[in-house]
Amino acid sequence: MIQLTEVQKYFYRGESREVHALKNINLTIEEGEFSLLNGPSGCGKTTLLNAIGALDSVDSGKIYLDEKEITTLSEDERTLLRLNEMGFVFQSYNLVPVLSVEENIGFIMKLRGFDDNEIKNRVKEVAELLEIQDKLQSLPNTLSGGQQQRVAVARAVASKPKIILADEPTANLDSKNSIALMNMMRRLNEEEGVTILFASHDEYVIESVRRIIRLNDGSIVED
Amino acid sequence: MFRLILKLAWKNAFLRLSRTLLVVIMIAVSMSMMLSIQGIYDGMTSNLIDKTKRSDCGEISLYNPHYRLNKNLDNVIKDAKTIEASLNKRPDVQAVVRRLSVDGLSATARKSAFSSVVGINLDEEIAFGRFDKFLVEGKLELGKRGVLIGKELAKTLKVHVGSKVIFSTQDSSGEINAMALKIRGIMQTSNVVLDRSALYVERRHLERFLGVSDTVATQIAIRTAYPTLQATLQKAYPQLSVMDFLELNPMLKQMQDMMSIFNSITFFIVILVVFIGILGVMYVSVLDRIREFGIMRAVGMEYKYIRREVLLEALFVGVVGYVVGAVLGLLSLVYLHHYGLNLSQFSEGLAAFGLDTVLYADISPIYFINTFLAILSASLFSVLLPLRKIKHLNPIEVIKAET
Repeated sequence: MIQLTEVQKYFYRGESREVHALKNINLTIEEGEFSLLNGPSGCGKTTLLNAIGALDSVDSGKIYLDEKEITTLSEDERTLLRLNEMGFVFQSYNLVPVLSVEENIGFIMKLRGFDDNEIKNRVKEVAELLEIQDKLQSLPNTLSGGQQQRVAVARAVASKPKIILADEPTANLDSKNSIALMNMMRRLNEEEGVTILFASHDEYVIESVRRIIRLNDGSIVED
Repeated sequence: MFRLILKLAWKNAFLRLSRTLLVVIMIAVSMSMMLSIQGIYDGMTSNLIDKTKRSDCGEISLYNPHYRLNKNLDNVIKDAKTIEASLNKRPDVQAVVRRLSVDGLSATARKSAFSSVVGINLDEEIAFGRFDKFLVEGKLELGKRGVLIGKELAKTLKVHVGSKVIFSTQDSSGEINAMALKIRGIMQTSNVVLDRSALYVERRHLERFLGVSDTVATQIAIRTAYPTLQATLQKAYPQLSVMDFLELNPMLKQMQDMMSIFNSITFFIVILVVFIGILGVMYVSVLDRIREFGIMRAVGMEYKYIRREVLLEALFVGVVGYVVGAVLGLLSLVYLHHYGLNLSQFSEGLAAFGLDTVLYADISPIYFINTFLAILSASLFSVLLPLRKIKHLNPIEVIKAET
């Protein structure tokens, strides 16, 4: 489903190549996987996750999503790809502060043109699954970190994307909330069949996933 | 989709209330002040034009074509009485007056001044331009030897109601003649020329004094609401000069143009201030929410929708500012229209320009239409720079910077 061949990424300062962030990455992630990109800080987990999620460009190599090359897409095409095919869970939740929980969860569905009834039903369904149904009318800043992260997960899964990319989703959560979140993510993977790829070095995530891809210094060292 | 964008724009404007209020107040205050200044400027001009029309030339005046270059009794309108009668029958003419005027010297025992005696019919003048409203002292009556004198001329001659004045001029036979006149009232028309030189006497007495027929006049002035009447009358009376009030008063035209320039400059400055104000606030607002826009881009919101949201937000703030400003401006204009702006401490200077000490504002829907379009444009243009910032936004950089 996701295939990376010879992917390289540099970070620049001015004209000079400062950091070789991804070195000849070759990787295949199949549909329905529940996987983790793991490694020490600065090893390139987030960079790789962003490249797979068409959030960031690469300097060479190719990335395919369902046999469609995404590395050559324009900025607008990548935006639409993210909208229609992917869901994102960020470390710091990244909810839209002026929208209620209900509106945040339905945000991507709205962008994709789902009708209002469908959005309402799906939001309710996902909110119940993530146990935030009593917070639907609240604003994000009135919720705890754990609740906000569940809203972020709900937003990511509500529109039923093919793949969810989660970058350090438990970094701001305590152990109880981390375990609860990972249980929910696993249920989503099993019940909704969503492919989920994490980037994390959190032990709760490591214990939950079925596949671990280890990175070090921009290269895959173990899969 | 539009509803979502509208909701985002509305919520951003509403939830960031202090910022929105700041812009609304800025627009409203600037706009109400601008409307007031515009109204006062226009009020000054229209007041001056109105008084000139009422006291002198109406909308249109008819002259012997040689009279304005050579003001002597050879250059009168010979069949003025017939023309007046015929004009009075026209439905597009509101009022007509026939005047006989002659230049000469007015003198007291101690002072003398160049002046013009204007032979009028009081009833006609009242109907023509509410002549009675120009009386500032004494009584509005003429009689055989009575005269109404311009305020500035009275000052020059150091005369008052009840004083006597001798007016000397050349009659129709070329002889120098003089008549003794008793001042019954003092007139202030705010028409500088008339106030400095006019002596108003009964027309039939002046006709007799000058030895001219009662059918002649030096000027026929007309009140009308039809701008095309001038061309019609010029065709009907090709032997006469048919001139509108601006041709007769080029200073008024200049003043009208000058006020229009002042208004445009004021308008431009205020709109520039509004533009810079909204630009500053919107730019800070966008920088403040750069992460929010980054998230939206990251989860797949196209730039065009974000652009619409920011435009709608600016539009919303601009329109609310406009509505509040329009209400404040209207209240201010209504007040200035009824009670005026009292500038009596500058009365000397204002009088030199023929202006009243209390300036009354005009109210025109055009002010509000122009301002609406300008505020709308300022609101929309002010978000171009913030939008440029969003367009070149790399969502990853924004999200990374915050984590």
